[in-house]
Amino acid sequence: MGVIVKKVELTWLDRTYVWPVLQGMSITFGHFIRNLFTSTAKRYTVQYPDMKREIPAGYRGLHELKRFEDGAIKCVACFMCQEACPARCISIEAEEFSDLNLSQGFQEKRPAKFSIDMLRCIYCGMCEEACPKDAIWLRKEYEVAAYDRLSMQFGKWNLMNTYAEADGKEQITQDPTPSVPRRTIAM
Amino acid sequence: MDKLASLLHTTPAIVWMVGKVVVVFLSVFLLASVWTWVERRGSAMIQDRIGPNRALLFGRWPILGLSQLLADGIKFFFKEDLVPEAANKGLFWLAPFLAFVPALMGFAVIPVGKSFVCDGVTYHLSVLDPGNGMGLLYPLAIGGLAVYGVLLAAWSSNNKWSILGGMRASATMVSYEIGISMAVVAVFMVSGGYDPAEVIKAQGHLPWTWYVARQPLGFLVFFTCMFAETNRLPFDFAEGESEIVAGFNTEYGSMKFSLLALAEYSHLMTASALIATLYFGGWQVPFMADPPVLLSVASFLAKMLFFAWVFVWIRWTLPRFRYDQLMHLGWKILLPLSMANLVFHAWRMSQGH
Repeated sequence: MGVIVKKVELTWLDRTYVWPVLQGMSITFGHFIRNLFTSTAKRYTVQYPDMKREIPAGYRGLHELKRFEDGAIKCVACFMCQEACPARCISIEAEEFSDLNLSQGFQEKRPAKFSIDMLRCIYCGMCEEACPKDAIWLRKEYEVAAYDRLSMQFGKWNLMNTYAEADGKEQITQDPTPSVPRRTIAM
Repeated sequence: MDKLASLLHTTPAIVWMVGKVVVVFLSVFLLASVWTWVERRGSAMIQDRIGPNRALLFGRWPILGLSQLLADGIKFFFKEDLVPEAANKGLFWLAPFLAFVPALMGFAVIPVGKSFVCDGVTYHLSVLDPGNGMGLLYPLAIGGLAVYGVLLAAWSSNNKWSILGGMRASATMVSYEIGISMAVVAVFMVSGGYDPAEVIKAQGHLPWTWYVARQPLGFLVFFTCMFAETNRLPFDFAEGESEIVAGFNTEYGSMKFSLLALAEYSHLMTASALIATLYFGGWQVPFMADPPVLLSVASFLAKMLFFAWVFVWIRWTLPRFRYDQLMHLGWKILLPLSMANLVFHAWRMSQGH
């Protein structure tokens, strides 16, 4: 089925070409004048390092491992995120802690190591979806860059502190619970 | 003048001559380089962008991005100067100069202000004094030479895109030169001479006696052809960025490219000066029969820079023509129009107007 495109009949004024050119020039001049009297900060361009766009809600940026009030990690090392990750960039080593729990018949787990290879991460947010404890969030930080590959391997403590500064929390470098676990479960 | 001359052990005439040459050519050269900034900032504003504003003078003053000029100049000087293996080396080196020199030379006959008398000696504010016998034929002839620079750059690069650009530029030049000449002949005819001083004097100081009002058709043809002559959009077939990479300057880099770019802007300056002289009364100040010299210079500069800005303005308004459209416009529209203009004014003169 063909679509009949209606041809625009040009008036003689349009066919002189001079008049449409003048019209076009008036449009561009309007833009010129408008921008001339607008400070650069108020134009459309976001001048990146000085100005930053407002990140929309639901943006998937750099990860954060959430913590409880006392600084204990929320993650229970269930490996759901590692399984869900399509880029296979998460690797977790679990450990068991607290004698009390052991005596009560179950073991509480937490990650001894939790690392994300930021070079492989595709920021899909699957880990966030998979997490049963709401322990990993993808938040609004997007300036993830480093001078070498090794610095892009984010470990447990890097991930727990990614947003500490932005949230006004203190940087933590160890678990509030006994720092040396009594037993480590070999996985 | 005399004191300076005696200081230099020379005659005032020579000092005046050298001073004129230096001032005129240097200011055209500087204006051309400043116009690259005007083009970038102006186009940015037209397109709702910001343009160059990051370069800082001594790392401190942004001065509206003007320091970008210096940064670019330094960059061009220190870039690697590549000459393609298969290029014709001599011509490849010569071409930027051949493009640049004619663009600047056209300015020589244009009076930038009113002549003045000092101690019984008349000083003319143009590099070549009026009555040199070449008059405005000279910038037109020199403007025709400018295409050699483009063509030579294209040919010596040994690159198919370049040669396409060069060929298109020369074909454009041939087509549009006739339109220019016909339009200008009408001006010469009415003013009774082809010396710029005579043309300016014939136009008088009232805006409605300027040739733009008396020969609007001729002005339109001349102005349009000047875009083709200076190789600027909508007729920038020599470069044709989206079609033939970068046209004649595809193979050019570093200072040679910079010189080609400067040649384009110098050409633009010369073209605007020509438009101002031929159709807008040159240094005449509106409604002022006998203006002070400085005011006349300011008037000329204002007109020239206005047209230089119109060149920029139109470039960022119109898209490039298709090549057959260009030829159609040149041969079938502009040439008959300029001829009609010529015949009409000849007829009017025969009627005693």
